[in-house]
Amino acid sequence: MPEPAVVSIDIGSTYTKGGLFSVERGGLRLLRQAGMPTTPDDLSRGFDAVRGVLAAEADYACARVYFSSSARGGLKIAALGLTPDLTLSIARMAACSAGGKIVKAYSYGLTEEEIAELEALAPDIILFTGGTDGGSEKTNLRNARLLASSGLASVILYAGNRKIQSDILALLANKEAVAADNIMPDVGVVNIEQARDVIRRIFLDKIVDGKGLSRIVREAGTAPKPTPLAVYDLVQAIPAACPGWDDFAVIDVGGATTDFYSHTESFHGGDAVLLKGVREPILKRTVEGDLGLRVSVEALWASERAFLGERLRADGLDAGAFAAYVRSVASRTESMPATPQEEAFDCLLAGACVRAAARRHAGTMARVFSPQGAFYVQKGKDLTRVGRLIGSGGYLSRQVDGRVLAQACAGPADADERLLLPENPLLYADADHLFPLLGNLVTAFPEAAPRAAIAQLLRLDSTR
Amino acid sequence: MNIILGVIGSDCHSVGNKILEAFFSENGFHVINLGVMVSQDEFIDAAIEAAAKAILVSSLYGHGEIDCEGLRQKCTERGLEDIILYAGGNLVVGKSPQEAVERKFKALGFDRVFGTNVDLH
Repeated sequence: MPEPAVVSIDIGSTYTKGGLFSVERGGLRLLRQAGMPTTPDDLSRGFDAVRGVLAAEADYACARVYFSSSARGGLKIAALGLTPDLTLSIARMAACSAGGKIVKAYSYGLTEEEIAELEALAPDIILFTGGTDGGSEKTNLRNARLLASSGLASVILYAGNRKIQSDILALLANKEAVAADNIMPDVGVVNIEQARDVIRRIFLDKIVDGKGLSRIVREAGTAPKPTPLAVYDLVQAIPAACPGWDDFAVIDVGGATTDFYSHTESFHGGDAVLLKGVREPILKRTVEGDLGLRVSVEALWASERAFLGERLRADGLDAGAFAAYVRSVASRTESMPATPQEEAFDCLLAGACVRAAARRHAGTMARVFSPQGAFYVQKGKDLTRVGRLIGSGGYLSRQVDGRVLAQACAGPADADERLLLPENPLLYADADHLFPLLGNLVTAFPEAAPRAAIAQLLRLDSTR
Repeated sequence: MNIILGVIGSDCHSVGNKILEAFFSENGFHVINLGVMVSQDEFIDAAIEAAAKAILVSSLYGHGEIDCEGLRQKCTERGLEDIILYAGGNLVVGKSPQEAVERKFKALGFDRVFGTNVDLH
């Protein structure tokens, strides 16, 4: 009689992978893993195949299945706010932390051209914000009228000035419109939880539209989790279940995006330190859609051209061969490096993803001189106290040294302005690449799943 | 009624700022206090989001004129053509007669200008 077990499967846009975990005395132990390319025409084929391998011994055929799906490559969200540094920046935070990919961001009043742009982009959701509760109304009302008379089929989520919420919904009566609490109820106050929940619900509805998924849902008896939510939920559960894990970060470098999660207090205050702009949440996730090793590799090269050029010269690598490699793997999403040179290229690309994602996620500290002496002004999130950094995703989970992951850490600092990157954290690899799979199990196993995630980490030496 | 309050520029005097916040709140205003070392754009961003009727700018370290220059025009450019702007504090370096200071700041677009000793009512 085998021990009780559960199956966790993630149906990714490129790969369907799963794990069989035994549930013994409240802990989760990996028994077997399996994976195969996703079958987009009928998602249940790949799903059934992976499940078949995992439950190879008939005894596990009845194991409960938890699964996630990434909805055809992710949820496209267009963010609309009033001012770029206030409501728009908070709207971006809400969209990212809900696992969406921000395809466009707009501020102030929409123009006819911008509406046409939106119609062409056809995002899944338009996150429509602006104004404090009881504050600005005119621009939102005008934007609502423009959206209503457009040809947009996106779901419109209104999370702006609460005072005009019913007016806005009335104007959008011919569209699929929903509302959530204002993401900025008062100047500088961040309130993204409800918007996040609504986005998650929409995400779920959209995923189950995917081919073959409704059958899986019926059989499994549960709805899928949106894949980006799986890792987010896992990261959120770690501090409570794992002593000593309060200030940590996770970087997930994939073929299409690099996701950066930080769990740490964003602002530490102090006598001569001021925070400018909004105060970021303890758990923050950013998703960089132009930093990836395959699908987005050409975008990565464009964004990080200067850095990559410099590294190619410093490492004595052939720039022409590099360019050819980048062009070639952009369309061969499953390809693995075949030669030492190609391995070196992938290493460089991964390092560029890690470095750029960290620099975008981290805040800054500037020294300002005033008649009262030197003061420090912080913007964004302080990552300097992140004591542990985990690399996840296919590439980083296979690393045995900290070379690539260390690119996320602080370098020599400029006295007047510096990025608040992690300083000498302990480095780890998600060695069995279990984070997404354990993320599916967090709701059912709120302590065992995070513990299992931490237990299988491989500690890396940092070599810089 | 929403009003925006803050100390402009590289100035971190905060006691007066807290007194003003308390006074205006007690008199029925919803005060959005941006604190110290506030830039022109931060005042305006907040005023836009909150549809504020007025921006009250404090400056106590004598460099008010440079910090406040252009604020009225920026407000107009950014859609706040009719917003009320008050300036107060120790607005200039050295001792200038109050009328001169008032003239200077009204020329900068401020509706009312206050010196260091003011009856808040």
